[in-house]
Amino acid sequence: MVRVLLTGLLLLTAGSAQDKNPLHGNKDAIEAGKGMFRIYCAPCHGIAAQGGRGPDLTLGSYTAGNEDASLYRVIANGVAGTEMPGYSDRFDSDGIWRVVSYIRSVAGRPAPPLTGNRAAGEKLFWGKGACGACHRLGMRGSRIAPDLTLVGRTRSVEYLKEALVAPNASITPGYNTITIVTKEGKKIAGVQRNYDAFSAQVMDAQENYHSFFRDEVRSMERSLESMMPSYAATLSPRELDDMLAFLASLRGKGDTQ
Amino acid sequence: MRTLVLVLAVTLAFGAGPVTEKQLLEAQRDPGSWLHYGRNYAAWRYSEQTGINASNVARLAPRWIYQTGVNGKFETTPIVHGGLMYITAPSNHSYALDLATGRPIWHHYKPVPRGVNVCCGQVNRGFAMLGDTLYKVSLEATLQAIDSKTGQLLWETPVEDPKRGYSTTATPLIVKNSVIVGMAGAEFGTRGFIDSYDATTGKRLWRFWTVAGPGEPGAESWAGDSWKRGGASTWVTGSYDPELNLTYWGTGNPGPDFDGSVRKGDNLYSCSLVAVDATTGKLKWHFQFTPHDVHDWDSTHDPVLVDLDHNGRKVKAVLIANRNGFYYALDRTNGKMLTAKAYTQVSWADGIRPDGRPNLIAGQDPTEDGNKSCPGIGGGHNWQATTYSPATGLYYFPTTDGCQIYFKYAQEYVDGLWYQASTTQGIGDEPLVGSIVAVKPASGEIAWRYRLVSTPTSGLLSTAGGLVFGGDREGYVFALDSATGKVLWRFQTGGMVIAPPISYEFRGKQYIAIAAGSAMMTFSLP
Repeated sequence: MVRVLLTGLLLLTAGSAQDKNPLHGNKDAIEAGKGMFRIYCAPCHGIAAQGGRGPDLTLGSYTAGNEDASLYRVIANGVAGTEMPGYSDRFDSDGIWRVVSYIRSVAGRPAPPLTGNRAAGEKLFWGKGACGACHRLGMRGSRIAPDLTLVGRTRSVEYLKEALVAPNASITPGYNTITIVTKEGKKIAGVQRNYDAFSAQVMDAQENYHSFFRDEVRSMERSLESMMPSYAATLSPRELDDMLAFLASLRGKGDTQ
Repeated sequence: MRTLVLVLAVTLAFGAGPVTEKQLLEAQRDPGSWLHYGRNYAAWRYSEQTGINASNVARLAPRWIYQTGVNGKFETTPIVHGGLMYITAPSNHSYALDLATGRPIWHHYKPVPRGVNVCCGQVNRGFAMLGDTLYKVSLEATLQAIDSKTGQLLWETPVEDPKRGYSTTATPLIVKNSVIVGMAGAEFGTRGFIDSYDATTGKRLWRFWTVAGPGEPGAESWAGDSWKRGGASTWVTGSYDPELNLTYWGTGNPGPDFDGSVRKGDNLYSCSLVAVDATTGKLKWHFQFTPHDVHDWDSTHDPVLVDLDHNGRKVKAVLIANRNGFYYALDRTNGKMLTAKAYTQVSWADGIRPDGRPNLIAGQDPTEDGNKSCPGIGGGHNWQATTYSPATGLYYFPTTDGCQIYFKYAQEYVDGLWYQASTTQGIGDEPLVGSIVAVKPASGEIAWRYRLVSTPTSGLLSTAGGLVFGGDREGYVFALDSATGKVLWRFQTGGMVIAPPISYEFRGKQYIAIAAGSAMMTFSLP
């Protein structure tokens, strides 16, 4: 009987450890979690978790769920279809809970206000902005630039704002422009799919794939300039706000029409 | 008679039996073995074989591939001996493989216990061997002796307490009947050391603390009790000079990495090369490359022992491609500097003075808002194995070229947990790139530079066939002309190449072996 009770108790403890952060509010855990966050998470989520190429984590609301267990799962396993990798091979469970403790400690910042008109932004996206000529939403648009179907979930508002007016500030990894000149003098420019010491695979503006070995072409150059134009001059401040409101709303299925 | 024939046949088929001290001293001469982390005690990683050479390497092809199925960074340098290859894989896995086929003979595994903190993956860099016994360290900071015939654990000695941030990842170094091991954990408030253990019993023979404590020379270089968390880990295998009986080990960053305000002083012997008597563990000399480091520029590199012509005299030298961006040649008898020259973009010092101290440039330290400095956190040259070719007289190593933004903040130390006090970030329009350089060891002058498109991950091997082998982040292994740096061969392995290549002769043919992704691969001519 004692054994049965003990087993039950252990199971309960183990279950709660998975659902609830056992280190919640623990000062030492927050401090250690902050150190880990700065090393592993800050490159995408920002040095103070304010977001960047990755979502803003200071708002206290998380796409994959607001429960401790959801945060744990995302850190451990990553998020399929996004740039978020899993860390279960680098952190043990206590380590993951320390990061959760830190994230909880910085939550509570009010969401930045979005003053633009979403519907007007959508019109601009497909119209004047011609974003669909390169980007894709759901099943519509081109495949050469990053798919924006989930961009409101995967990027912070500040990042999107910057991307519209200064696209070179942070190019999504793997989306540099590669220009190849063949030995016959033919020039092919496309978006990087792979680029290494010996070869490149690119997609051109017509969505065709090309593959080249470096020693079989005249030249192979990677540009650090984004193919995306800046909209600082072509869209008015009001239009930029509208576009931002639309992009920030793109959080998955059903957002597009 | 029949027994004799059988014994002879076995000896011929599987080489030389138990590994002796003499074989370890003469490892460079044995084409059929790879017995040390750096091939010989001088850490040359040079193969005297010429079967694969500049004229035929284009025909090099895979011979066998062994898939471990273990995720993580595969950093092993194999031991090759007696017809078998002994490798360690991530997360405390290790194997013996048949040299003819790559089929596994045994697998040793011990699960990593909960609570082991490692900065940079559950890695291991390889076995050492003496007699019939293999020696490796575990992530939970133990030294293990393993029967090379069966993979059975013979004994296991605790090195330090893993719950306090200590771990072990480096290949041990065998000297006479001792096993010398380093430790890792400078990101967790540990105090670094080098240990020596009796190869037969596992009993500790000596410990050299790489952080000077109270009453020891160098103690004045640590403010207050900061020495207790001083780091200076020793996670890359040292080299050994049998004539001087000195073992040379590089030491890592002081802790915490980026906030130097809590550890004012030079922080000896962090970011240094230490020369230690291999019998007693006593310090003979030290050379500190980066006093009071605040950029995480560990000096954990393979110290390569070469006798140099320097200003008309022959000098017993040690070569270091330091993470701080400078190449150094030191007199290995006394630690005096012979040469120092930048091999990549450096913004923190405009040269090294004759006494070895850097001419610092102001305004390079990390700040709370971030401050740009060069090289980036990984160097310069990181831990990747280097190679010296006596045929070309050149010293080859991979470099990372570029700068990063360094941040710091005041972090309270919690026993055994992360204690780095901030981080670095890349610069969007200045991505880090890499190269492989060939350096003239006496002058530090660069003979050639082969540019990579990304930062280097793999170590190198040079051969008498006029080749330098390496690998890259994108999964290629390649051969360069050792005289010019021209690419002569490449093969896409399908996995990141982090380990260094090795070479050995088997049944009359030269082989190249290297770990890539989670697989061990070998190559030979058809």
